[in-house]
Amino acid sequence: MTLAAKLPLAPPKDSVAAAEVSLYRNVLKIKQEHGLENLGIAFWDAETAIQWSYNADFYFHAASTMKLAVLLGVFRQVERGELSLDSAVHVRNRFTSIVNQEPFMLDLGRDADPDVYGHLGKTLTVRELAYWMITKSSNLATNLLVDILGIDTIQKALDELDIDGIRILRGVEDQAAYDAGLNNEVTATGLLKLLRLIAEGKAYSKQACEEMLNILLDQQYRSGIPAGLPEAARVAHKTGNISTVHHDAGIVFLEGRKPYVLVILTQFAAEGGRGTAVADVSRDIFNTLAGMLYE
Amino acid sequence: MSDGQGAAIKVIDAFDLDDELRSLLKPGEMVLDDRKRRHRLPRYFYEVPSHEAAQAIRLTQHFGLNEFILVDLRETERLQQFPRYIPCAVRVLAFYLEQFRAAAGASVHVAVNGGYRSPMHKMSTHATPHMWGTAADIYRIGSTILKTKETIEKYNELAEDVAEEIDVYPYGHVTGNTADDHVHLDLGYITVVPREISEDRMEVPQEAKPRFAFEERRRKERRSAAESGAAAFRPPPAG
Repeated sequence: MTLAAKLPLAPPKDSVAAAEVSLYRNVLKIKQEHGLENLGIAFWDAETAIQWSYNADFYFHAASTMKLAVLLGVFRQVERGELSLDSAVHVRNRFTSIVNQEPFMLDLGRDADPDVYGHLGKTLTVRELAYWMITKSSNLATNLLVDILGIDTIQKALDELDIDGIRILRGVEDQAAYDAGLNNEVTATGLLKLLRLIAEGKAYSKQACEEMLNILLDQQYRSGIPAGLPEAARVAHKTGNISTVHHDAGIVFLEGRKPYVLVILTQFAAEGGRGTAVADVSRDIFNTLAGMLYE
Repeated sequence: MSDGQGAAIKVIDAFDLDDELRSLLKPGEMVLDDRKRRHRLPRYFYEVPSHEAAQAIRLTQHFGLNEFILVDLRETERLQQFPRYIPCAVRVLAFYLEQFRAAAGASVHVAVNGGYRSPMHKMSTHATPHMWGTAADIYRIGSTILKTKETIEKYNELAEDVAEEIDVYPYGHVTGNTADDHVHLDLGYITVVPREISEDRMEVPQEAKPRFAFEERRRKERRSAAESGAAAFRPPPAG
């Protein structure tokens, strides 16, 4: 039996149900075409109030999407007056594993963020670290912020905002923790909730949300969600890539309409390569919305 | 010592500071090191009036006072505000660092949190010479970032060769094996009493009433120790 034969028949084109079925069919197709082992999608549109998901409660290795939780933790502390965005932080490359308390260093060659490691021995502000952690996915900036905040504070920030589906255990490149199977994990639902709170100005304060949005809008890696959108789209997002996962989670701003939040998590075989599945899903969702709005 | 424009830098007795600063700098208080040895915290400090002054003041040809007061958010906020305070022994450290710099043949950069740390600094978990202004953490020498065992051991040896008074921490001193990122050198717990100071007020003042509660507490401890010692002593029987 072919894939198409397994899919439900499309209902009338002008209904939301039609759009949902169409999305479902296309997502399965993309999953098959890219040979994905797992795919998780969560979508919420502020304009139409449509919410749609696929396998959205499945836990993936978080990769760098965990940095969204760290960003949230930073602004929790700032809002509570326990941290200032202008506070200076000593940039050093030595961290402690959560498993055996052994120190470890990041492979700075891999991190490729001279904006941060060029300051070794000097300081950067909390604001600068948060900026490079998100926009260039700096692992060094991330671990420095995790050190300052503490893992418990980050998890508390998630719990206080009722964000389920994100488990933060450690910073990045903690090999001993990785070997022990202790990894940060996310679901599409969890990341969607986090981003939706920011999009709606409900994460701590409107000002905090605006600051977080501004950082996320400066994201420099654009091969995920933005690659499936028209050039004019603005996306506040965070990617996450390791050898077998490629994720993107973002808020999409299009001219003349309210934003939508989209989370796409993909997992593939190590030999498979990451491909363009995230961009393809992003494009499909955009086309579906465009079809609904302008047909 | 001058601020570079000829004005003298004020030396202060930290007992004369306001209550908040005294409670943060803890002059004369005893702290334990990592081997449970007791050390008395410094009491005489340079008062650095402004950021500009800190930048202008040269302790030696190549070391400015500013390098030794660089801290991040781990230092108490009050102690990050000017006027800032740094133990007078820092000038001794600068003297030795100048010699270390000459031996290395390259610029030596004291890192943030790598010079003076107050007793309230989050890295001051036990007494270290950083709290006396007599230790330096160095992350970069010339253009070399100190991140390998070979480099750190090379400069450790160089520092030890400069003077016997200099002590260094071995590579990976936290756990004894991996992942170090700086050279730590120190001169031990040196207390400097500048010639500008008149030591007419002792830690336990000569007046009948001690000035601080801890002075009274310590006096009682000493008295009680002396009394118990006297009770334990029995003169040998005559004949």
